[in-house]
Amino acid sequence: MSQFIKYLFSTLLLIIGLLYLCDFIYTQTYINSNPRNKLQYIISTEDETFDVVFLGSSRVANHVDVKLFDSLSHKKTINLGVEGAGLNDNLLQLKLLIDKNYISNIFLQVDFNFENTSPSNISISEAMPFLRNDIIKNHLKDNFINFKKLEYLPFYRYAINDPKIGFREFSFSIFNKKPRINPSIGFTPKFGNRFPLKGKNLSETIKQNNSVLDEIIQICKKNKISLTLYTSPFCSKTRNIDYINKLKIKIPGLIDLSKGYSDKLFFNCGHLNSEGAKIFTTNLYTATKNNLRD
Amino acid sequence: MLFNSIDFAIFLPIFFILYWFVANKNLKFQNFLVVLASYLFYGWWDWRFLILIIFSTIVDYSIGRKLISEDTKFKRKILLWTSIIVNLGFLGFFKYYNFFLDNFITAFSFFGTTINASSLNIILPVGISFYTFQTLSYTIDVYRNKLEPTKDYIAFSAFVCFFPQLVAGPIERATNLLPQFNRKRFFDNQKAIDGLHLILWGLFKKIVIADSCATYANEIFSEYESMNSLSLALGAIYFSFQIYGDFSGYSDIAIGTSKLFGIDLMRNFKFPYFSRDIAEFWRNWHISLSTWFRDYLYIPLGGSRGGLKMKIRNTFIIFLVSGFWHGANWTFIIWGFLNALYFLPLLITNNNRNYLDIVAKGRVFPTLKELIYMLTTFSLTVIAWVFFRADSISIAINYLKKLFSFNFTNGMQYLSIERYAPELIILIIFFVIVEWNSRENEHPFFGKWIYLKIVFTLLGIITLGVYSDVTDFIYFQF
Repeated sequence: MSQFIKYLFSTLLLIIGLLYLCDFIYTQTYINSNPRNKLQYIISTEDETFDVVFLGSSRVANHVDVKLFDSLSHKKTINLGVEGAGLNDNLLQLKLLIDKNYISNIFLQVDFNFENTSPSNISISEAMPFLRNDIIKNHLKDNFINFKKLEYLPFYRYAINDPKIGFREFSFSIFNKKPRINPSIGFTPKFGNRFPLKGKNLSETIKQNNSVLDEIIQICKKNKISLTLYTSPFCSKTRNIDYINKLKIKIPGLIDLSKGYSDKLFFNCGHLNSEGAKIFTTNLYTATKNNLRD
Repeated sequence: MLFNSIDFAIFLPIFFILYWFVANKNLKFQNFLVVLASYLFYGWWDWRFLILIIFSTIVDYSIGRKLISEDTKFKRKILLWTSIIVNLGFLGFFKYYNFFLDNFITAFSFFGTTINASSLNIILPVGISFYTFQTLSYTIDVYRNKLEPTKDYIAFSAFVCFFPQLVAGPIERATNLLPQFNRKRFFDNQKAIDGLHLILWGLFKKIVIADSCATYANEIFSEYESMNSLSLALGAIYFSFQIYGDFSGYSDIAIGTSKLFGIDLMRNFKFPYFSRDIAEFWRNWHISLSTWFRDYLYIPLGGSRGGLKMKIRNTFIIFLVSGFWHGANWTFIIWGFLNALYFLPLLITNNNRNYLDIVAKGRVFPTLKELIYMLTTFSLTVIAWVFFRADSISIAINYLKKLFSFNFTNGMQYLSIERYAPELIILIIFFVIVEWNSRENEHPFFGKWIYLKIVFTLLGIITLGVYSDVTDFIYFQF
């Protein structure tokens, strides 16, 4: 029995050692490699000036043609929309951006994400290698009940986020493989249509207020950043589209571009295709050009 | 409780300590502890499932006791059929009620009669197909006078519910497992270390191979209409490795865990994807079920006695029943039928027992002929797995139609899981090489460099494992 117990304990020690080693190697790789996602890109920026920054989900990443907006406005524009991101993630992006950079205008996409205040995609995965960053740590510790585990259990943060920061992404980072999306531009157009379009159900009721959005508004005010809130288009199959009218009552300055787009311009019901993105970007510019700050 | 869960990681060492350090002096107490722990393990899913397993245990124990005192053939037969009806009755109700109901309604509506019957919201008790077959084997063996019925109810309960193999096998025979609960167990260092190695390899197969393949296979099967032939072929191959990694991984963990407690379970998989024909495949895939059907269905039906026609009829019956055993869906029945069809040429030419040895034994590489045979057998099983995986027969047929349309537009497709469809092949090839090198053993931890192999396996489990989406073992649903 003692031989077995010894063997078992040495195996357990080996596992713990390997977990610490992997955690260290992964973290160092992500910290020191070229940015492969938008959060890494934000962290790597310093003393940069952005005239226009777009924040939001894939409904920003797929919709705002940066080059087109740039050419129309003659302003340095970046699209930081991230698939699956919510307002909480946008708040983290904003905090990181203003820490070391200068921003004149922020365009924030607000729609059904108004119903949610918890973090999603970016925070739970792409931010994990940077848990020692004070801004990220302070932002996440209030939002995750398992934050202590994420911080102290070796490799736990990489294991539970394996699709985004697992072995595959680690290997690409180690070899500095170019990402599919250039994070310093950030526009990821969708092509074609996925017919028949399946409409999304928007909420029948609306939240009283969204504390995360309030915080974003306060930060922008404090840092003298012009904040534009807008809503992107939905296809004709969307149910409870009246939600947007309720949202406009909650947010008086909201620019509503949710309607008036042919279904042919959609990749799927919530996302425009590249042709739709061009039309939308032009419309958005037209609707907001007088508000742009230099 | 899942083997790949934190709950089990806490449960197992506690049980190990109690088993070897507290209860080791008294066999009855040790068996009682096995029963308690097994009920806790099983009740972790849903305590209501325990009622069924306890009832099944009582019925088969009592019938076993009655059989010994009963001399008349007629009464013995009645006792046997009582056990069969009770056990298969439970299985039929919980697993097949809705299936039969739906099919009756469809059949009657075909003839213009409408039946108003509503299906029941039945929860399928985990592992019911496994322990039902295990208890049945006990009663049948007692009936056939192959086994002395046990007087020890606790030992019998331990045989029925022994937690490592309770929910997904191997389906043990009373002749192998029950005597092990009737004699004192001694701790064997080497056996326990071997058990750890099996657990480790089983976890690798489940967490790294099966769960990675599941991510790709699920995506390709759910979006098959937009996939080209390359992606569809890969989807089917990924599912083949998913089900193999999942089920053989479970079996390895079950066998390894049992070894920690001095119990030997039968081997359930012997590298089936290295089979040179379909008969060899079925000798090496889910061995405990194949041999169960052979002993308790094929042979009673007449087996291969009575000429070729009888042999063919019995083989088809075995495969159709085996398909149906897997699930209440026509897709499983077609899967069984296809395998029977694959078997047919071997039966007709009397070549179904050609390959009883290990392929390329003592050699590093197979011959070209062996390689071609292995690839052919693998391809046939992959096609059959499409029916096993698809939600309906029409989906499976459309999937295969698209696969064989040889449309390769878009080349390597980028899936919505943000991966290229062929990426996982690298891991599969690595896995196949490791398995090939281990085919004369139970796992890769033998010979030189054992510790290095363990380090790399652990590294693989840590870095390549899928932890974001912890999944049940596929065979739990059966």
